[in-house]
Amino acid sequence: MERSEVRSLYLLAAFLVAAYALPFVIGIWYGTVRWDADWLGYLGTVVLSGFLQGGVYAMFAVGLTMIFGVMRIINAAHGEWVMMGAYLSWVAFFFLGVDPLMALVFTLPIAFLFGMVLQKVLLNAVVGQPELTGLLVTFGLGLTMIYVAELIFTTDFRTIPYAPQTVRITETIAVSQNKVISFAMALVISLGVYFFLRVTRTGKAIRATALNAEVAMVCGINVGRIYLITTGIAASLAVAGGALVSIQFGFNPETGIVYTLQAFTIIILGGRGHYVGALIGGFMLAVLESLVSLMIPNGTAMVELAAYGLLIAVLLIRPGGLMGVKEG
Amino acid sequence: MTQREHLRNLALLGLLALVLAVLPSGLSVYLLSFAMFTMMYVVLALSWNIISGFTGYTSFGHVAFYGIGAYACAILVVDHSWPWLPTLVMAALVAGLVAVAIGYPVLRLKGPYFAIAMLGMAEGTRVVATVWDGLTHGGVGISFPSVENSTSTYYAMLALMLITIAVAYLVAHSRFGIRLNAIREDEVAAEAIGINVTRYKLVAFVLSAIFPAVAGGIQAYKVLYIEPQAVFFVQITIAMALMSMLGGKGTVIGPVIGAVLLYTAQELTWVNFPTAHLIAYGLFIIVVARFMPRGLIGFAIDRGWVRKGMVH
Amino acid sequence: MAPGANGIVLEARDLRKAFGGVHAVDGCSFAIPRGKICGLIGPNGSGKTTTFNLLTGVAQPDGGQVLHNGVDIAGLKPHLVFRRGITRTFQITRVFREMTVLENMLSATGLDVPERVARERAGELIALVKLSHLRGEYGGRLSYGQQKLLEFARALMTDPDVILLDEPAAGVNRTLLQHLLEQIHRLQEAGKTILIVEHDMNVIMNHCERIFVMDYGVKIAEGPPSEIQGDERVTEAYFGRRRSGVVHAG
Repeated sequence: MERSEVRSLYLLAAFLVAAYALPFVIGIWYGTVRWDADWLGYLGTVVLSGFLQGGVYAMFAVGLTMIFGVMRIINAAHGEWVMMGAYLSWVAFFFLGVDPLMALVFTLPIAFLFGMVLQKVLLNAVVGQPELTGLLVTFGLGLTMIYVAELIFTTDFRTIPYAPQTVRITETIAVSQNKVISFAMALVISLGVYFFLRVTRTGKAIRATALNAEVAMVCGINVGRIYLITTGIAASLAVAGGALVSIQFGFNPETGIVYTLQAFTIIILGGRGHYVGALIGGFMLAVLESLVSLMIPNGTAMVELAAYGLLIAVLLIRPGGLMGVKEG
Repeated sequence: MTQREHLRNLALLGLLALVLAVLPSGLSVYLLSFAMFTMMYVVLALSWNIISGFTGYTSFGHVAFYGIGAYACAILVVDHSWPWLPTLVMAALVAGLVAVAIGYPVLRLKGPYFAIAMLGMAEGTRVVATVWDGLTHGGVGISFPSVENSTSTYYAMLALMLITIAVAYLVAHSRFGIRLNAIREDEVAAEAIGINVTRYKLVAFVLSAIFPAVAGGIQAYKVLYIEPQAVFFVQITIAMALMSMLGGKGTVIGPVIGAVLLYTAQELTWVNFPTAHLIAYGLFIIVVARFMPRGLIGFAIDRGWVRKGMVH
Repeated sequence: MAPGANGIVLEARDLRKAFGGVHAVDGCSFAIPRGKICGLIGPNGSGKTTTFNLLTGVAQPDGGQVLHNGVDIAGLKPHLVFRRGITRTFQITRVFREMTVLENMLSATGLDVPERVARERAGELIALVKLSHLRGEYGGRLSYGQQKLLEFARALMTDPDVILLDEPAAGVNRTLLQHLLEQIHRLQEAGKTILIVEHDMNVIMNHCERIFVMDYGVKIAEGPPSEIQGDERVTEAYFGRRRSGVVHAG
């Protein structure tokens, strides 16, 4: 690697170490940190929760990174796709009496279709354009989706009570069952997509198109079809993420904005277009967020700040992220 | 633009100023408020245009300056008993300093990444305002004690709008403005012909920050209460951007037209279709970004109704 | 700013630049005398454009010096290089597309130059490249050849000392090229120094007084056209070692 490449990677690594240490430092300063077994157990719980959460984040971030990798479009509506998933499972649960995770059996195909239609109707026209156009168009889409959801569901927060019992790992570390289930499902789905991309013909075609669409075309790959499939998969991953999120947290139409931001942070940290990068980024962000929420006063508000801070820092230090080249 | 055209435009501006100045005596409270909001959006759209339209650095976080201005004024008036007008000057100063501080690192980012970073910055400022109780009274917000005369805020906004129009006009028709456009068109080539890109971008960014800040301050006086949610509202950035894009990024008259049209349309539909009009916003952004990137003025230029270029 | 005592106005000394593992420029040295038209040639990938970028501040060298009138300007930012009187054009034209021809020209003058002076000069140069009738047209709407002329004229707005042209003949028809070459000679008669990177051997051999040949990031030959034409190293660089006999360039 060129000198400035290596340098920026070290700088980013150093920053990340500092970022993880900062909550501890602030916590010690403000006295929220207590070095006793109870508190350490609590810390363990929080970190574990974060890790499990990271699995879900990683899963829907992968969708975002795929869209960017294949089409160079930054999907500012991704969080709203996640919300769509949350509302779909809510509707399935409350109106159809279906287990929200079982509902995935029919919400995932719906999502896939949604993604394809969206690609055909809106995004195809944006593919060759400068990245900012894609950002603006999807921004408008996201906004539209928020308000349509508000029209239908109002701004009330919704929750789905699901497997709230806790699972004891050790004496002091315990997480709720729904988190574990979410993580397991996210893992299964992520691995599934990973193998799909690695092993199947279509998956390889997607990866080829991401590397170089023109060459892919020359090799006989139907690039138009690849675009449709990519967005379909991304939408499905987002909707799956939404379902998994809906059984853990409350949500309303505007919650998606934070998810979009987190997804941005994840893919930029991991490296735009990098599948594994998105996974790593997902876990890293989630764990950082847990540390922040635990140890910094006003933790819940500061969590957002942590994501922003990370986003801006990575953009300034090494825009390509951990797995990409320096400039991305 | 010839001397005659410049004088004509000046005369038109003077006429506008005159009309708007006599308005308070004849209009209802509601219409006066409407006029004031429209003027505010003209200020916001024109300012956004300086960094995003002229210089090509599309900012998704400009509401941060609006909020900073509002808070600067509120804190100085409520906590430190400053008189009204000087706080507006302070608002501009604070916003300018913040712009320099964050502009330096953030203007190094390209296109969509600058936009995203600015969005993060705006939301981050909102969070800071919510959390830093000591300074900003946190999520509770700040209430103004006295009832400010609503006509004086009207005139303040009018003055601000006239100043903003004048500045935008001067920039657009000057070689400074042409050099900003050069940066937008091709930063590498711009540097190759002697433009100190870093400095020019920063100046444009600061200019684009101070007017929204003062607008935020004036608005705070009118509404007499501010809180982080209201003042750092992402809707405001969206409005600024959309108005400017709709009218025509990179021109002076464009953002003005866009602001008037869009705000009027919003007011007309808001009453009848509260949520639908927000959906329209979203759809509008899609349409404008996709089909009319050069806005109404761009359309007029393509038709030959308006001359190409700013300097002739 | 007087040239160095030996009349060398711009010199590259042992320039190095690597991208990843690729050594684009690997110890390149040459000296351009004042008031001459010089050419820089070499096969694709020899490092010509990178060298250009190093000379004009667009890229930072990993090692070596760039001497302008004896002063090392390596690593100086492009706008400061321009202020010193060194200007350049680009291989693929970089005119400002959504700005008019006049605006393109005016953008090249510093704010310290009075408006009237700038406009006069812009008018003169636009007339020189025969684009007066397109004064109010968007740069992006011009034909490719016209854009090249515009970029050329724009680079001359501040009356630079040294003009670096990156493939001026590429994509330009004969008539336009003739016109361009006339202007280049006019500039030289006025005392300017010009360096041209080109693939078109006719242009190089017929218009340059001194030619530098690059290959694999270093200068492999230097001299007047007559010498270069017969030089085996040059033909080897362009056509490969295994050819027997001498093949003339151009």
